[in-house]
Amino acid sequence: MSNETTSGPSVPAPSLPWPAIGVVLVLASLLLIPLGIGNAFVTHIFVTICLMAALSSAWNLVGGFAGQLSLGHATFYGIGAYTAVILVNLGITPWIGMFAGAGIAAIVGMAISYPCFRLKGPFFSLASIAFLEVFRVLTLHFSDFTGGATGKMIPLKLGWTWMVFRERWPSLLIIFGMLCAVLVVVWAVRRSRLGFYLIATRERESAAKAAGVKTVQVRLVAVAISSALCAMLGTFHAMYLTFIEPSAMFSLTFSIQIAMFALIGGLGTVSGPLLGAVLLVPLTEWARASFGASALGLHGFVYGVVLLLAVLFMPNGIIGLLQKFRRAPHHELDEDEQTTQTDSIKAPAQATTPPSPDREGIGRDVMRVQNLNKRFGGLHVTKNVNFTLREGEVLGLIGPNGAGKTTLFNMLSGFLTPNEGSVTVRGPDGGYHTPVNPADFAALGVGRTFQIVQPFAAMTVEENIMVGAFYRHHDEHDAREAARQTAWRMGLGPLLQDEARGLTIGGLKRLEVARVMAMEPRILLLDEVMAGINQTDVRRAIDLMLSIRDSGVSIIAIEHVMQAVMSLSDRVLVLAAGEVIAEGDPHEVVRDPHVIEAYLGKEFANAHR
Amino acid sequence: MLTVENIHAGYGPTSILQDVSLDVKEGEIVTIVGANGAGKTTTLRTIAGLITPTSGRITFCGEDITRLRGDQVVDRGITLIPEGRQLFPDMTVRENLLMGAYRRAARDFQDERLEEVLDIFPRVRERLHQTASSLSGGEQQMVAIARGMMANPRLLMFDEPSLGLAPIIVSQVFEVVQQIAAKGTTVLIVEQNVYSTLKVAQRGYVLENGRVVISESAEDLLQDDYVRQAYLGI
Amino acid sequence: MTTFLQILLNGLMLGGLFAIVSIGLTLIFGIIKVVNFAHGEFLMGGMFITWLITTQMGLHPYAAVIVVVPVLFVMGALTQRLLIQPLMSARDDHIQIFATVGLSTALINLALLIFGADIANTPPHGLRAPLEFGELRLLTGQVMIFGAAIVLVIGLELFLKYTQTGRAIRAVAQNRGAAELMGINVNHIYVLTFGLGAACVGLAAVLIAPLYPTSSNIGTYFVLTAFVVVVLGGLGSIPGAFLGALIIGEVDALSGYYIGSDLREAVVFGLFLLILILRPSGLFGARQNLSHLS
Repeated sequence: MSNETTSGPSVPAPSLPWPAIGVVLVLASLLLIPLGIGNAFVTHIFVTICLMAALSSAWNLVGGFAGQLSLGHATFYGIGAYTAVILVNLGITPWIGMFAGAGIAAIVGMAISYPCFRLKGPFFSLASIAFLEVFRVLTLHFSDFTGGATGKMIPLKLGWTWMVFRERWPSLLIIFGMLCAVLVVVWAVRRSRLGFYLIATRERESAAKAAGVKTVQVRLVAVAISSALCAMLGTFHAMYLTFIEPSAMFSLTFSIQIAMFALIGGLGTVSGPLLGAVLLVPLTEWARASFGASALGLHGFVYGVVLLLAVLFMPNGIIGLLQKFRRAPHHELDEDEQTTQTDSIKAPAQATTPPSPDREGIGRDVMRVQNLNKRFGGLHVTKNVNFTLREGEVLGLIGPNGAGKTTLFNMLSGFLTPNEGSVTVRGPDGGYHTPVNPADFAALGVGRTFQIVQPFAAMTVEENIMVGAFYRHHDEHDAREAARQTAWRMGLGPLLQDEARGLTIGGLKRLEVARVMAMEPRILLLDEVMAGINQTDVRRAIDLMLSIRDSGVSIIAIEHVMQAVMSLSDRVLVLAAGEVIAEGDPHEVVRDPHVIEAYLGKEFANAHR
Repeated sequence: MLTVENIHAGYGPTSILQDVSLDVKEGEIVTIVGANGAGKTTTLRTIAGLITPTSGRITFCGEDITRLRGDQVVDRGITLIPEGRQLFPDMTVRENLLMGAYRRAARDFQDERLEEVLDIFPRVRERLHQTASSLSGGEQQMVAIARGMMANPRLLMFDEPSLGLAPIIVSQVFEVVQQIAAKGTTVLIVEQNVYSTLKVAQRGYVLENGRVVISESAEDLLQDDYVRQAYLGI
Repeated sequence: MTTFLQILLNGLMLGGLFAIVSIGLTLIFGIIKVVNFAHGEFLMGGMFITWLITTQMGLHPYAAVIVVVPVLFVMGALTQRLLIQPLMSARDDHIQIFATVGLSTALINLALLIFGADIANTPPHGLRAPLEFGELRLLTGQVMIFGAAIVLVIGLELFLKYTQTGRAIRAVAQNRGAAELMGINVNHIYVLTFGLGAACVGLAAVLIAPLYPTSSNIGTYFVLTAFVVVVLGGLGSIPGAFLGALIIGEVDALSGYYIGSDLREAVVFGLFLLILILRPSGLFGARQNLSHLS
C-alpha cells in the first residue's frame, strides 16, 4: 500500500480539548479557593478532597484500568503511614520514609495479587479485604513498633523537613502537588503501552494474550505503581494527622470510599476519580459536620445508598454521562462510511490468482504438529493430528462444523494444552522451539484471530490495532502510526476513531485481522475470517490474504467459504470428527470420497460414486 | 402449524435476520439451509422465544407467540435441541432427561415419557446413571435429542444435530429424526449436512445473509443448480 | 492432653459455626456467580431481629426462627430482583460486587442508626449452659449449631438432587442457555436461590444470636472467615464449604492457642493465600464446563 493512503483523510481533530480544560479548571480551584479564603476548616476540606482524589486515582490504575477490583487499598495507605511514622521516630525524614513505604507497599501489593491474577473470579476482591484485616491484626500485635491499639503519635518537630506544620496551607501545597503527580502518572500510563495492555487485558483477556500481552505481568506492574502511590499518600496523611492507629489506617470503610469515588466519577478514566472526589467529599464532610453527632451512621448510610444508586443508574460514572452527551449525534454515519470506504479501496484488479505450487518462497517447515490429542471429559476432540506448515505457504483447514478445527487452533497458539503430542515452531533464529503458552507462541511470531470476534469493545478501532502494534513498537507514537497504516491497508481507515463495539460483523472481522497483522506475525492462524461477510468482501479478503502470503507470512486458514479455500490454499487439510481424513492439493481433496462422505453423508457418496 | 412472517431480529444493535418468512405444516420435516453466519440458528432461537424479534409475527397453531418468553413457548409445544448438545455436564443422563420434562404439563407424565423415549434410544438407557460429560459425542447428541423429546413437543427444532460427529453416527442421527417424524412430531431442522437433510425433508428454505432466497420442495432443491453448486459442491 | 482435646473440640464447634454462616454464601455464588458482600449484614440483621423478638416478647431465641428465616428469604429475593438482576447483563462482574458492597455499607450504617453503637445481648435461655463429657466442656448452643449445620447441608443436598426445583437450580448453574431451553425461567431460579441463601444465613443468625453479642459490625467479623471457608471448599460447593469450615475452625482454634489469640486471623488469611496458590479450585472445585464447541 502506498503512503498517500496511509496518511489518508486526516483524523478529524477534536474541536477543543474540553476534558483537559475541565481538569485544569478543577485543579486550579482546588488550590486557589482555599488559599483565597484562608479559613482552616475550608483548607482542611480541600486537603481531604485532594487526598481522596489522589488515592482514588491511584486505585483506579488497578480497579479501573486493570479491571481488578480492590476493596482493601487502605492496606497500602496504612503501610505508607506506619513505615514513615516508625522511621520519623528513628529520626528519618518522611520525605525518605515515603519512598521506603512505597517500596514495601509495592512488594506487598504484588505478593497478594500474584496468586489472584492467575485466576478468574472474585479472588482478588476477597484477598484484598482479607489482607487489609491481616495488616490491621499485625499492627495490633507488634505493638513495640506500632504502638498497638493505642496508636502512635508523631514527634512534634515542625517544618518542611518533618512535613508537620502549624498552619494548614503548606500541607495543602504538598497534597496538591502529590495529586498533580498522581494524575500525571495515571495519564502517562493511560497513553503508554502499559495502559493499552491493561485495558486490552481487562476487555478480553484471551485476545490480549493472543496479541502477545503478558497479562499477569502487566497487572502486577499496575498494582506495584498503584500501591506505591497510595503508600506515599499514606505517609503524607499520617504527617497531616500527627496521630495514627490501626483501625483508622487499615479501614474497610475507607477502602470502599476510595473505590467509590472512582466508580462515581468513572472507572478507568483519567479524570473520573478526581471528579468523584470533588463532588462527594464536600457533601459528606458537610453531612458529617451537621449530623455527625446526632445521627450515628447517617453519613455511612448515605454513602451506601449513593453507591447503590450509582451502580444501578450510572454504572459508567459522571464521565460516562458526559461522554454519552458529547457523542450522541455521531454514530449514525458508521454503516454508510464503512461501505463507501471499502468500495473505494483499490483491490488489485485481478481477483483470485490461482496459486502455483512451485511459487517461489515455499521453503522449510515453520511449524510441525505431531500426534495432537485433546479430550474433554468423554469427548475425544482431536485424534492423532499430524501435519507440517512450510514457509510462505497457505494451508487450508476445512471440515464440518464441530470437527475440532478451533480446538486445534487453540493448541497451535498455546490457548489449550494437548493431552498428548507437540507443536514445534521454527523461531526467527532458525532453531525449533516448543512453546507452551500464548506469550511463547506470540514471541515466536505466531498470530491468530478468533472465530467469534474478540474486539476490545471499549477501545477505538485505532486503539485496538495499536494493542497489536505495540508488540513491535514500544513507543506510543510509532505504534499509532503502524496501527494507522495497517488500518488503511485493511480498509478500516475511515473508522479509526470509532469505538469497536459499533462496527458491523464484517468490520469486526477485518479489525480482528488488522490487530494480528499489526504484530507482524510470521505464522498467521485465521479462524473463519470470511464467515458472514458478503461476496465482494470475500473477494477482497482473498486478495488481501494473497498479499499477506506474498510478504512471506505462512498462513493456516480455517474456512468454510469453498471459493476462498480453493483459490487460496496451496494445500488443504480436512478434519472430521477430530481426525485428519485427507490432505493435499485442494482440487484433489474435494474429490476424495472420504471427504465427500464427511460433508455430504454416506448416501450421497454412494449415489455419486 | 407454525408461521413466521417478516421477522427482523438480532443480538443487541446487530441485526441478523432481515425479513424472514417461513411456515411449517403439521407432520412435515422442513429444513433451513445456509452458510455459517447466514442466520439459521438465530431463526430457530427467535422462534423458541430466546430472542424477541424487532418486527414481524410468529404464530403457532393459530396463537401469536411473537413476544412470549422461552418458557412460555415450551409450554405451547415447541422445543429446540441446541447446537453443540448443551447438556448439563455434571448431572447424570437421567437427570438431564428429567430436566427436559421440567414444565408442569410434562412433569406429570415424566416417568411414562421417560420409558417411551428410552425405548427409542437403547444406548441412552445403558448410560442412564453416568454423568453427561463422560459420554462420547454421539451419545451426548442422542441424550440431547432424547431430552428434547421429554417435553412431548408438537414441533421439535434441531440445530446442527450432526455437529462434530463421525459419518456413521450422523446417519444414525438422521434415522432418529425420521423415526421421530414418523411418530407424528413435526420437525424443523437446520443442518450443514445439506444432502442428507434434503433426503429426509419434505421442504426446504435457503437462507443467505439473513434473508430467505429460495423456498422449494426438498426434491426440487436437490435438483436446483444454484443449491447444487453453492451447498452441495457439485 | 485434655487441653489439646478441648481445643480440638472447640475447633470443631467453631467449624460448625463457620459452616452454617458459609453455606448460604456458597449456594448463592455457585448458582448466580455473585459474591454477596452483604452476606454478613444479612446475618447481622437476622441477629438483631432475634434479639428484638427475644427481649421484647420474652420468647426463647429459637422461636425467632419463624420470623427470621422468612424475613431473610424475602430480603435475599428482593436483593436479587431489585439489585442484582438489573446488573446481570453488566459488562463485568465488578458492578455486581460494587452493588453488594454498597448494600453492605448501607445496612451496617442503617443498623447503627437504628440500634446505635451499643452491643445487644440476646438472653441465652440456657443455651450457654455447659455440657460436660468427662473433663471436656461444650456449650449447648454450640452443639445445636453443629447439628443444625449438618442437617442443613444434608437437607440442601437432598433438595438439590431429588426435587425438580433443586435440579432446575443446578441446571441453571451448569448451563444457563440449555436451562432456558428446558423452559426454566432463569430469573425465577435466581430469585429463589438468593432467597434460599439468605434464609440459610437467617437460620445461622437465630442460632448464633444467643452465643455472640450482636452489633452492627458483627457481620464483617464472620463474613471474612466465611469467604476463606467458601474458597477453601471450592466456590459453590456445599459439602466443600462444610468441610472447609471444619478445617478453618480447627486452624483458628489451634493457632489461637499455640500462636496467639490476636494472630488467629492472620494465620487464617495466610492460609487463604496459600490455597489460592496451591489449589485455587478448592477441595471440591467445580469441574470445567464442556462448552468448548459453542
